[in-house]
Amino acid sequence: MSRPGSIRWLMAHELRLFWRRGKMNSRSGLIIIGLVLAGWLAMSFFMLRGLGPLIPPPPFLNGPADGLTLTIIGVVVAFIGSVMMSGAILAAVEAIYTRNDLDLLLSSPISPWRVLVVRASAIAVSALPLYAGMLGPPLLWMAVFSSPLWLSALVVLASLAFAATGIALLIVTGLFRLIGPKRTRVLAQVISALAGAAVFLAFQLFNINTRGDERMNQQDIVEMIRRLDLDPQAWWLFPSRAFTGDIPSTLLWLAVVCVVFPLGVFVFSRRFVADAAAASTMGQRKRVTDARVAEVRGGVMRSVMRKEMRLLLRDPLLLSQVGLQLIYFIPLVFILFRPDRGLTLSEAAFAPALTLLSSALAGSLTWITVSAEDAPDLLASAPIRPQAIDRAKWLSAVLPVLALMAIPVAILLWREPWAGAWSAGGVLCASTSAALIGLWRRAPGSRRDFVRRRAKGSLMSGLGQAFVAISIAGAAGLGAHGLPWLALIPAILGAAVLGVLQKPTPSYANAA
Amino acid sequence: MSTALRVTDLAKSYGGTRAVDGISFDVRAGELYALLGPNGAGKTTTLRMVAGLLAADAGSISVFDVDARADPLAAKQMIAWLPDEPLLYDKLTAWEYLEFVAGLWGVPPASARAEAERLLKILTLWDNRNDRCETFSRGMKQKAVLAGALLHQPKLLMLDEPLTGLDAAASRLVKDMIRERVDQGAGVILTTHILEVAERMADRIGIIKDGKLLIEGSLEELRTRAGAQGQSLEDVFLSLTAQPAATPQTAAAQ
Repeated sequence: MSRPGSIRWLMAHELRLFWRRGKMNSRSGLIIIGLVLAGWLAMSFFMLRGLGPLIPPPPFLNGPADGLTLTIIGVVVAFIGSVMMSGAILAAVEAIYTRNDLDLLLSSPISPWRVLVVRASAIAVSALPLYAGMLGPPLLWMAVFSSPLWLSALVVLASLAFAATGIALLIVTGLFRLIGPKRTRVLAQVISALAGAAVFLAFQLFNINTRGDERMNQQDIVEMIRRLDLDPQAWWLFPSRAFTGDIPSTLLWLAVVCVVFPLGVFVFSRRFVADAAAASTMGQRKRVTDARVAEVRGGVMRSVMRKEMRLLLRDPLLLSQVGLQLIYFIPLVFILFRPDRGLTLSEAAFAPALTLLSSALAGSLTWITVSAEDAPDLLASAPIRPQAIDRAKWLSAVLPVLALMAIPVAILLWREPWAGAWSAGGVLCASTSAALIGLWRRAPGSRRDFVRRRAKGSLMSGLGQAFVAISIAGAAGLGAHGLPWLALIPAILGAAVLGVLQKPTPSYANAA
Repeated sequence: MSTALRVTDLAKSYGGTRAVDGISFDVRAGELYALLGPNGAGKTTTLRMVAGLLAADAGSISVFDVDARADPLAAKQMIAWLPDEPLLYDKLTAWEYLEFVAGLWGVPPASARAEAERLLKILTLWDNRNDRCETFSRGMKQKAVLAGALLHQPKLLMLDEPLTGLDAAASRLVKDMIRERVDQGAGVILTTHILEVAERMADRIGIIKDGKLLIEGSLEELRTRAGAQGQSLEDVFLSLTAQPAATPQTAAAQ
């Protein structure tokens, strides 16, 4: 038992909260996680028993080939780090704006520094399980079958979470100073998404600017290594060298983390009380244009749709969270609108991409309009059939998506009518089906909890929506590529899963 | 005097627990009925079933002779429900909130506008009508929700802890508005833990415990039946629900 108020005691409190925020209850959750980990450990054992001895043992310090290897490892580390930082930014923002238990902890006779160090450490630790679970088992077997130096990858992985958290805390505090409490939340959200998608976007940029449609053969790879001439001893590759067991680089990496994390916590905690106070007083007495009751026209449908549109458009945080899904859309649009160099992708390739994006957007908007209803009692006590409200909310979710997608679909129809027609069909089917699943499988929650609660929706509806979206995207892609009969297979599969997901819609109050 | 609400043998269970256990009572038009009970007695569950927010397991609910279980929409047209927690849309202004409520209840725009203006002025929210609800204090939110509840001229008003979070002036204002509705012939049923409110305002009082109606009647009738002549409603309530009044001595002993 740790002493109440000690760092261990506070950390145990944080980890208990982290565990309980998850989807699973404690006992069955532990069993499931244990089984999955054991399975992955066994699977990676059988894979690496054969492959391990073939992997050149680290460190990789000689020649351009090692330089390229370290660069690739660096990209992986950067990707993991950027995703960790993305989560840490959101967690830091949440700590400032929705303080929850921090008010209680900070009003207790425990040093605020200790409280915030533990909270920051918990943010870092909470980013670890996913990557530890995914990379831990194979790295362990690589340490056995290739070289023990691979164990340093685990050290780098764990410390990476702390480095990412330290940088995230510095970013959030800096934003607060530069642009104030009102805009920080939205911009932090954007930076978080950009951080998470940075590596993906960088690759897309690379694809756009190179001949992405041609495959490299072995000679091309050798030529690329020679041309790039990457020095494995380059200073900027030290995290990769640390990951692959170069002891001096590992020590340097740990020294950097030992500076960055405490610095982030120090800067964040020094300003925390003032920033939290500023955040809690923001938005007072905001006035907007008068909208008269005389405008009540068209009954329930228009009232509900107008309300949903107003709520969405007036919530920049929510809007940014939904809109950030469009980040993945940017490279596609860039290719589509580039008139001078011709398409590196065929028009048909846009059909599945637009379809998947429509599904994701419609799913998010449906969650906001249907599940994140702020006044369910009001709707349930109104003399209106729940189906009428559902119809209005369904349309509120689908219409913006269709309006947004109309632009690229229109360009596609102009450039290649066949692909455009399949894209239009895919967009229509994907957005309407995603919205239907959102209606049938509603998971009541608060708009403020959009990101967290969306992630906590039922596993079945999440997987179901993904399956249906992929099926429709597959059908649209096959159809656009001139294989309409083959497109029937995924279309029928998607329709079947959609049928399985259907269930009677509960009333708003009962659902709440 | 017609019957605004008739509840007969109403029952609701959660899992194996009977939250409401065959409760029956009437609320007349032009009457204020206070439903009292300790925490978890089944007050809110009862009101939520009447408002159509929760399906009853058994029993009947009649609102001005309309069977609320058979024809919920017709019953809801006459009902206003004010929950204990003022749930509003943060990003809507008070005026837009009322506009939305008018749309839900199908109130004609012209009369909705006039009534919204009247209510907002009475509730001293007129100057804040274009402010977003997220900037409101708890009391202002409660008043905005009350305006929404009264906007469609309900014949049966159901209020769950309507005075929570209100300051003295706002509390007085809300009580006056409730009394005005009663005088105009509406039936009002409210729950409250502030027994003085029930003592001063209610025409009749019902006390429930463990989902069962223990007793109902005017305050005098309750005193007589509880054998507590001359005592306050608090004493009557505590003696009926067998909750010992906490004294410094008993509290210290605990």
